[in-house]
Parts: sequence; C-alpha cells; structure tokens
Amino acid sequence: MSELSVSSRELEGVTLVYPSGFINAHTVRVFEDELQKAMGGGCYRIVVSGQDLRYVASAGLGALMGVIEEVRSNGGDIRIAELNETVLNIFEMLGFNHLYRIFGSEQEAILSFREKAPTGAPTA
Amino acid sequence: MLQVPSGTEFLATIRDATKRMAELAGCDATVAAQVALAVDEAATNVIKHAYRGASDRRVELRFLLATDELRVEIVDDGSPVDTRSLPELDLKRYASEKRRGGLGVHLMGRIMDAVTFRRTARGNVCCMVKRLGAGEAREAR
Repeated sequence: MSELSVSSRELEGVTLVYPSGFINAHTVRVFEDELQKAMGGGCYRIVVSGQDLRYVASAGLGALMGVIEEVRSNGGDIRIAELNETVLNIFEMLGFNHLYRIFGSEQEAILSFREKAPTGAPTA
Repeated sequence: MLQVPSGTEFLATIRDATKRMAELAGCDATVAAQVALAVDEAATNVIKHAYRGASDRRVELRFLLATDELRVEIVDDGSPVDTRSLPELDLKRYASEKRRGGLGVHLMGRIMDAVTFRRTARGNVCCMVKRLGAGEAREAR
C-alpha cells in the first residue's frame, strides 16, 4: 500500500489538496506534484486539508516553503485545515503556525479567502 | 539494533520501529510519534547528506532504554557531515529564499532533549536522547 496518496478538487475558486498518509522524504514528491499542478493551472488559492494526514516530516514542510513565496506573489495563499494533534504539534514546533493560517475546518479555510484582508502570514 | 538499506522507502521501517521502542520505554502515543519523527529526520539526513542519496548503503540504529531516558544512535559510514551549530531558524528568510531543506535538524532539536554528532571509527554517529519517567535499564539489540 502506498504511504501517501494525494487528491485535489476545486471549490469556489479554491483548490483543496488532500494528502492521505505520511509526508516524508520518500513520499514528498507526490505532494509537491499536486501543489505544482494547482499552481500550473493558475490556481493560487490553495487549502491543504489534513483530515487524513497522519504525519508530516520536514520534507513536507519544506515543500510548502518552496512554493509559498510564488503563491503569495500571485495574490494567493496556502492555508491549512483540519490537522490532527500530531501534525499540528509539528507545525507549531517550527513556528509554521505563524507563517501559515491554520483552520479547524476546511469550510473556514475556504471562507477565509473571501475576507478583504490581504493574503499572507497570520497577523496575530 | 536495527540495520536497514539506505533507500528512503525504508524510512517507514525506521519510523515504526522507533515508535514501538518509544512506547516500550513508556512514552505516550504523541511523544512516541514525535521521537519517531526525530529519528526519521536523522535517518533522512544520513541518506541525503552522508550518503548523497545512495540507496545501497546501510543505516544502523541502536536503541538504549535506560532508567530515565531513551537513547537512539543513528550510525552511518558515509561522508563526514557538518556538525557546527545551526543558526536560529528564520522562517521568513527560508520562504523568501525558497529553501526546502535544513528544517529536519531543527525539528530534531525541538523534539529531543539532546542531539549530538560525532565522528568515530565507525563513521558518523548521531545520538539523540529523550528523557523519560522511571523505568528499568536495559539495552535493546
């Protein structure tokens, strides 16, 4: 069985990316390809929905870091939703919760793109 | 002791074994998962840097369960690695430079209570320690 599968769909102008399994050095390419697919299609409003994401190593965090500047410079953002406690702890350990907006639900993340505030890192 | 080939497909084996060892040492599920992540990161660094991506080498793990700590050694016979102290993590700079690597060592340092690197006759040894509650001292081989 594959350690990681990633699917995506578009909803209300936002690309929702669903990594399922583990993101580490062995599987990160699959995740990166899905992010690149969204960007290649001109979609820079991306929500990574982590409901089935069991584990993320630094390779996964690095994948986000590798594209966030390009995404934001195109007026978009990568927002994170529905992380389990383990994955949320990993984000917080490195301070990624200050660089990315993290939401409890996918719906909140999608709605956040309707806000009039500029995209980018959390202000609080 | 656990010895696996240096292909990234074996990181899952390393992770699962470490998680189990941490649980046997008395760590709860969350801490065990974090220790497994730290070891995953260390093994990834061995593959990427000491072995420069070669998948035909070996990564060796030793687990020592002591009274109040779990000690994990990751040993490789690859190229010497730069063990100088890392600068403080600057995420904004990371993002602006589109950097992807280098985060693993920071994670290791935040998860484990001690992380040391040394060069021995065996090669590179990364030793990580997680402090625990009271327990029996034994060496796991």
